[in-house]
Amino acid sequence: MNRLQLNRLITPLSRIKQHGYIFVANQSTAAKKEPEKLEVFVDGKPIHVEPNTTVLQACAEAGVEIPRYCYHERLSIAGNCRMCLVEIEKTPKPVASCAMPVMKGMRILTDSPLTKKAREGVMEFLLVNHPLDCPICDQGGECDLQDQSMMFGSDRSRFTDNQFSGKRSVEDKNIGPLVKTSMNRCIHCTRCIRFGSEVAGVSDLGTTGRGSDMVIGTYVERLFMSELSGNVIDLCPVGALTSKPYAFTARPWETRKSESIDVMDALGSNIVVHTRSGDVLRVIPRINEDVNEEWISDKTRFAYDGLKRQRLTAPMLKNRDGYLTPCDWEDALSVVAEKIGRSTGSKMAALAGRFCDAEGLIALKDFMNQLGCETVCVEELFPNVGASTDLRSNYLFNGTIAGVEHADLVLLVGTNPRYEASVLNARIRKAWTHNDLRVAVIGPKLDLTYTYDHLGDSTKVLAELSSGKHAFSKILSSAKRPLIILGSAMFQRQDTESVYAATVSLANKLRSSLADENKEWRIFNVLHRYASQVAALDLGYKPDVKSIIELKPKILYLFGADEGLIKRQDLPNDCYIIYQGHHGDRGALMADAILPGAAYTEKQGIYANTEGRAQQTRLAVTPPGKAREDWKIIRALAEVCGLTLPYNDIDDVRSRIDQVAPNLTRINTIEEANYFKQNADLLQNHKTSFTDSALTPPITELKDFYMTDPISRASLTMAKCVKAVEEQLKSRHT
Amino acid sequence: MLLGGHDKEYVHRDTPMNNPDVKFDFTPENYKRVEAIKAIYPEGHQAAAVIPLLDLAQRQHGWLPLTAMHKVAEVLNMPKMRVYEVATFYTMFNRDPIGKYHIQVCTTTPCWLCNSDGILKCIERKLGIHVGQTTKDGLFTLSEAECLGACVNAPMLSINDDYYEDLTEQDMEQILDEIKQGKKPKAGPRNGRRYAAEPFDKLSSLTEEPKGPGFGIRSDL
Amino acid sequence: MSLSNRITPVLKEIRPVLSVNHAEAKRRVLNLYKIWLRQIPYIRVDYISNNWTEPELRKILKENFLSNKNVTDIRVIDRLLVKGQMDFVETAEIWRQAHNAALFDRSMDTYKQKPKHFLERFYEGHH
Repeated sequence: MNRLQLNRLITPLSRIKQHGYIFVANQSTAAKKEPEKLEVFVDGKPIHVEPNTTVLQACAEAGVEIPRYCYHERLSIAGNCRMCLVEIEKTPKPVASCAMPVMKGMRILTDSPLTKKAREGVMEFLLVNHPLDCPICDQGGECDLQDQSMMFGSDRSRFTDNQFSGKRSVEDKNIGPLVKTSMNRCIHCTRCIRFGSEVAGVSDLGTTGRGSDMVIGTYVERLFMSELSGNVIDLCPVGALTSKPYAFTARPWETRKSESIDVMDALGSNIVVHTRSGDVLRVIPRINEDVNEEWISDKTRFAYDGLKRQRLTAPMLKNRDGYLTPCDWEDALSVVAEKIGRSTGSKMAALAGRFCDAEGLIALKDFMNQLGCETVCVEELFPNVGASTDLRSNYLFNGTIAGVEHADLVLLVGTNPRYEASVLNARIRKAWTHNDLRVAVIGPKLDLTYTYDHLGDSTKVLAELSSGKHAFSKILSSAKRPLIILGSAMFQRQDTESVYAATVSLANKLRSSLADENKEWRIFNVLHRYASQVAALDLGYKPDVKSIIELKPKILYLFGADEGLIKRQDLPNDCYIIYQGHHGDRGALMADAILPGAAYTEKQGIYANTEGRAQQTRLAVTPPGKAREDWKIIRALAEVCGLTLPYNDIDDVRSRIDQVAPNLTRINTIEEANYFKQNADLLQNHKTSFTDSALTPPITELKDFYMTDPISRASLTMAKCVKAVEEQLKSRHT
Repeated sequence: MLLGGHDKEYVHRDTPMNNPDVKFDFTPENYKRVEAIKAIYPEGHQAAAVIPLLDLAQRQHGWLPLTAMHKVAEVLNMPKMRVYEVATFYTMFNRDPIGKYHIQVCTTTPCWLCNSDGILKCIERKLGIHVGQTTKDGLFTLSEAECLGACVNAPMLSINDDYYEDLTEQDMEQILDEIKQGKKPKAGPRNGRRYAAEPFDKLSSLTEEPKGPGFGIRSDL
Repeated sequence: MSLSNRITPVLKEIRPVLSVNHAEAKRRVLNLYKIWLRQIPYIRVDYISNNWTEPELRKILKENFLSNKNVTDIRVIDRLLVKGQMDFVETAEIWRQAHNAALFDRSMDTYKQKPKHFLERFYEGHH
């Protein structure tokens, strides 16, 4: 066979990436013709499955769960643990069901004596070298090895250490402050390695050596440098990789689990908060295919210890010497109410921060509006051109997070999804590997874990693209389902109107040339950074911090506003600053009165993620000290001010939200937003004038990812991560 | 430090000889070889060249320092970890410094039955080192190897790329002496009677004419 | 359609506890009320440490009876009657201690009512 033929044969495989594994799982389902289904028999029960499904998946469809260690739905198939052996009629040996494709008429026996014997045998081999340290193992109670040896293992041991040589022992590795390793327990399933190279895109982990000397690790001592590293803890079927901050704190059956939502970024990853006697012990992901699949970022997972530090636990007022001193709620509210009463509504302003829930936001807005104040803002800016925030489609991630998998081209404008929304970045990477997604970036050259066309970081590129003069324009316009993702950090720029208008007009141009079957495809997306942003905009908050400074307010109500966008010196001397929030951070530092609120684990609150998907957190622990839920504080303060907000409980607040923004009360649904064309028409008359500064997202390095908000700034674990990354950068083992 | 597959460590620890600062780069001639090797593999599959390139690096440097693995990773544009995986998997890659002549004595069953232990003892006595050690002059490294696939000529050993077969202890001493004198001993069977792995006297099997087509098939077919 | 669905429900027969109709139940309630009423002078003396006067005791008695005025189910009324009878015996025989008898007197309740108004609840920290 000559070279040419060889090449042609191999071309479909040409997307095997540099990590050396071939992806098999999760193949694109964009098949044109519905393939014929195959009939197979699982324990005699006939079922029809698609061709290319594996025996294990066919069994799952028939309701029979096959034990497994190495197999994972979201990772490629390794087939090395052998736990999934089943008997298939007319085959001489048991078959590893995870790697075996079904064939017509296959008769799979999952309960036969041979299958049982095979499983027992595999369990026995695994346990020969597995230490009996379950009583001191953190995985105890949620260990696949424990559970499956109970279910499928032999009921007695034949293990005798005849030669007193002991079990296999492996040195523990230090791979950072988040993941604790206990390598004796490792059963070499390679899930962590596959996660690193496939999902996280960081090939730091691997197997070295061979045979019974094989070890999992990094070979050289180094940090597992990934923003998604914590997920290997969940993936590890045994206790080899466990959480360092959570080490030896609790058993899974002792903890109370509350299903909640993460607020560290604007994705709203679904989480489960584990608590015991009023302490948040850990945060683990919850599966939501539309948002985070089953991954969460390290900040989501490990910043929880920041919830116990730097907390505001009592109301505080400035005393005569200018020091903030704790006091009772009665005193605090009456002093604040008196200050508010002495001022007029037109000289008041409110600013909401990144962690505010919709309940607090609506209460604050109602309160301020009743006082006659209209300057109610959010911290993130938004360009005031065209329809601005009046149309939801202008500020949402319209294409949806799951939509990334259907796109064939993603253009990132001034955003670094890897550190602004790590889980979304994993999703883009997934589409890049499985669907041949093409990615283009306007911004600095960064390691995004996938290859992309770097178009440059100047605003000129954007202007050229929107006028169709750029070299990439042709590729862009030939894309069937393109997505343009605009980072919200770009709204903080001087020339934000022009950047925004250029992006919108580019998106609109692409939209008008979409094929008929893709007419509903949404191209324009905004990737927010703040969890509260979308809900705040939905509720009518103004994205205009500058207007507060221009107003020279006498009363400034900071509602969790900790970004430091307004400084004391920007305000008149007699401005009275009220800070309501949960952490003593930048906002509290400049406040005259502090009203302690609840963090996201301490209240039931609605957050809308960057797609506009409303989701709610649930109360996992009660707020510490005298801290109260945010909407209640505002409700109480309003009452002391002589105004009554028409709600007494959470249901009342939500029905009020329902009046203003009904999409926020429809939990876990996305309200579609349209009017792209209308907005583009409104923007047509905008005169673009770009500045020279590059379109650079705020976070470009991993060490800046960990501490970005009041909670993670207070977190010791996050501080350790920053230190570890800095040390790794200095290390000779890069 | 011990050599020989089983006793090696599968993690890297910095030593004065082997650390990330050790300079390694392919020589210009070897770069040509690198390109030739890479050209064998189709576009997008160049990572498959990792084994030949590691071998090339080892031949150039004598052994395989960490920085050589890094170089290979760089040349093939693949993660370093993937190169470490390959380099640690194969026992032929020496990740620690070894002597100029790497003596690998086969001690697997056929050789062992033919007195490989005696050969090993002879070498140990002659060089004053044990398995896994290197002589002080840095000339010889001795290690035990599993079957090298020359059982017909047992006992045997390999010194770098050459096989020495059908050995006796006298042969062994002679080989080592010659190497010490800077000569290159003749590789292959040492008993003088054989050219390669042919029978000692005459064919003992497959002596008859090959059967023609249809042999042993049922007559009714 | 299963068999049970096809059977049309008929009036269920219930065994009475004491009374067969409301009139009888009412008669029994009034009887119980009367015997309590007659006992009141003795209760005042027997539980002297509670410092009840007879008008007070009559008020307490009335309150306790009226607290169940909305009960219409005959069987429930009957059970309350039985309980009232037992309470009466225990009280008359002085099997109760003074503080125990004081439980009939709602005005002597010591626990604090939970605040109902939003602001009070907020100050008290009822989340």
